[in-house]
Amino acid sequence: MSLRLFVQTLRWQRVRLAIVIAAGIGWGLLIPLFYNAFSDVVRELANQGAFPRELMSFGSGSLFTLPGALTLGLQHPLAIAMLAVFAIGASAPAVAGERARGTLEVLLARPIPRVGLYASILLALLVAVLIVLVAILGGMVGGTALQGIADELDLAQMPLVVLNGFGLWAAFTTFGLAASVTFDRPGPAIGLSLAYLLINYFLEILGSLWAAAAWTQDYSLFHHFNPGAILTGDFEALDLVIVFMAAVVPVIYALVVWPRRDLAAPS
Amino acid sequence: MEASQEPRPIISTRALTKHYGRVEALSGLTLEVRPGEIFGFLGPNGAGKSTMIRTLLGFLHPTSGTASVLGMDVTLESVEIRRRTGYLPGGIALYDSLTGEQVLDYLSDMQGRAPFRRAELCDRLELPGPVLRRRVRDYSRGMRQKIGVVQALQHDPELAILDEPTEGLDPLMQQAFYRILDDLRREGRTVFFSSHVLPEVERLCDRVAIIRAGRLMAIHEVDELLARRRRRVTLRWRGSAPDPSVLPGLEDIEIDGNRVIGTLSGEVAGFVRAIASPSLEDLTIEPASLEEAFLEYYASEGEPS
Repeated sequence: MSLRLFVQTLRWQRVRLAIVIAAGIGWGLLIPLFYNAFSDVVRELANQGAFPRELMSFGSGSLFTLPGALTLGLQHPLAIAMLAVFAIGASAPAVAGERARGTLEVLLARPIPRVGLYASILLALLVAVLIVLVAILGGMVGGTALQGIADELDLAQMPLVVLNGFGLWAAFTTFGLAASVTFDRPGPAIGLSLAYLLINYFLEILGSLWAAAAWTQDYSLFHHFNPGAILTGDFEALDLVIVFMAAVVPVIYALVVWPRRDLAAPS
Repeated sequence: MEASQEPRPIISTRALTKHYGRVEALSGLTLEVRPGEIFGFLGPNGAGKSTMIRTLLGFLHPTSGTASVLGMDVTLESVEIRRRTGYLPGGIALYDSLTGEQVLDYLSDMQGRAPFRRAELCDRLELPGPVLRRRVRDYSRGMRQKIGVVQALQHDPELAILDEPTEGLDPLMQQAFYRILDDLRREGRTVFFSSHVLPEVERLCDRVAIIRAGRLMAIHEVDELLARRRRRVTLRWRGSAPDPSVLPGLEDIEIDGNRVIGTLSGEVAGFVRAIASPSLEDLTIEPASLEEAFLEYYASEGEPS
């Protein structure tokens, strides 16, 4: 583990991080506003049968309760994109990009074990992901207070939401970095990591919109992060186990593969 | 009386072999680099020079054979090897968004040793403060190479491994770099560098290894290699040229009136003594060049040594 590399990895991301934090807080503030402004209207329209029943939920969220709306906000493509900026966009090219640019060589020439190098980068990226997640959730809590509906939210459950959400996004981050230490170019690493995320997302959304395919949700990591359920006291420890297992497996893979990889001169 | 003991080699490889799939990048390479010498590693592109260097630093894992650097095994103790080694990669790539100074600070921090020599190196390689405060993306090829040299040597390593170190440096900077290496040698540091620039190997190195297609063709003292070279000799006599049999060591002889042209192998002094005669009017011996020695090795289909 190199503290200098950890700090530098965060420094490389600082502009992006500032922008995404601002966007995350903004997005978080908007969700309670939407809920407060539109949930009654949507509920009324739904009761009148204006929408097919399947469209009443998107992923595991809904606009009918504040916790459901928060789930919706965290499973919305905008929130996914914000978190994926670091979980995929920064992790997948982290090592493969250095390799393609040729800078990995000067890095590897330092007296840092490859495992230490991997751990430093991973930790920095996990910190970035955690910061973005906290920014979005912080925005949601702030928005809830601003809308005067804080009593609808059990804030005592929020640490569990953070933990579960972090487990989910840590899984994508570790997958991205595992892909990064596998390939010599960032393109394949980004592609594979993005495909992994999109398949998970597709399974979750497909199952939520099509009753016959509801079983697909169980196979999506997104289905194992349901802030709405946690905030209403319906937390399942198994969800936490699943997302953290999904985070640990790529780490084990990377720790086996990365130190053994031959790093020939960049072509 | 104590038995004389050879100093432990700084770099030692035994039958070092590296395969990439079916491609044999290094084949049974055995060599030793002694403490305090500048050792040249010569070979054309693709000969296996960078593969050798990367194996020594632990970037590649040997297929078979062993290698040690500073007495440590390259597969088991590569971290400690890198702590005590300075490395300049061939065609070095740096972080474009950082300034030269930030790059040096970053790499020095991760090296874990203070950059004792940075100021001196920057001074000698003409890297003043304002230049160091510019972003690397604005640097020329030569400037990047200079930063590469500084990052490799700034922490005063015991061993410097330099892959094509003068690539991109202008002639003045090449001379400055040579003087830096001369000083390192005087201080007892060891330098292992790969090159295909023969005059610089001739100028700098104590010994040279020649590698072709992953195989070690020869290791020689540079002086010995030059002494063994065939030199082109032209002699002019007063009157007619003597019988070629009185010209020891001279081959491929052409006689043109009073002029004899030939190639001389081996020691020059003995030849000069043998031909000393009042009737010898002029003698020209072209300097032996390492380039010719090198070409001879590469032209031959002989077995490696």
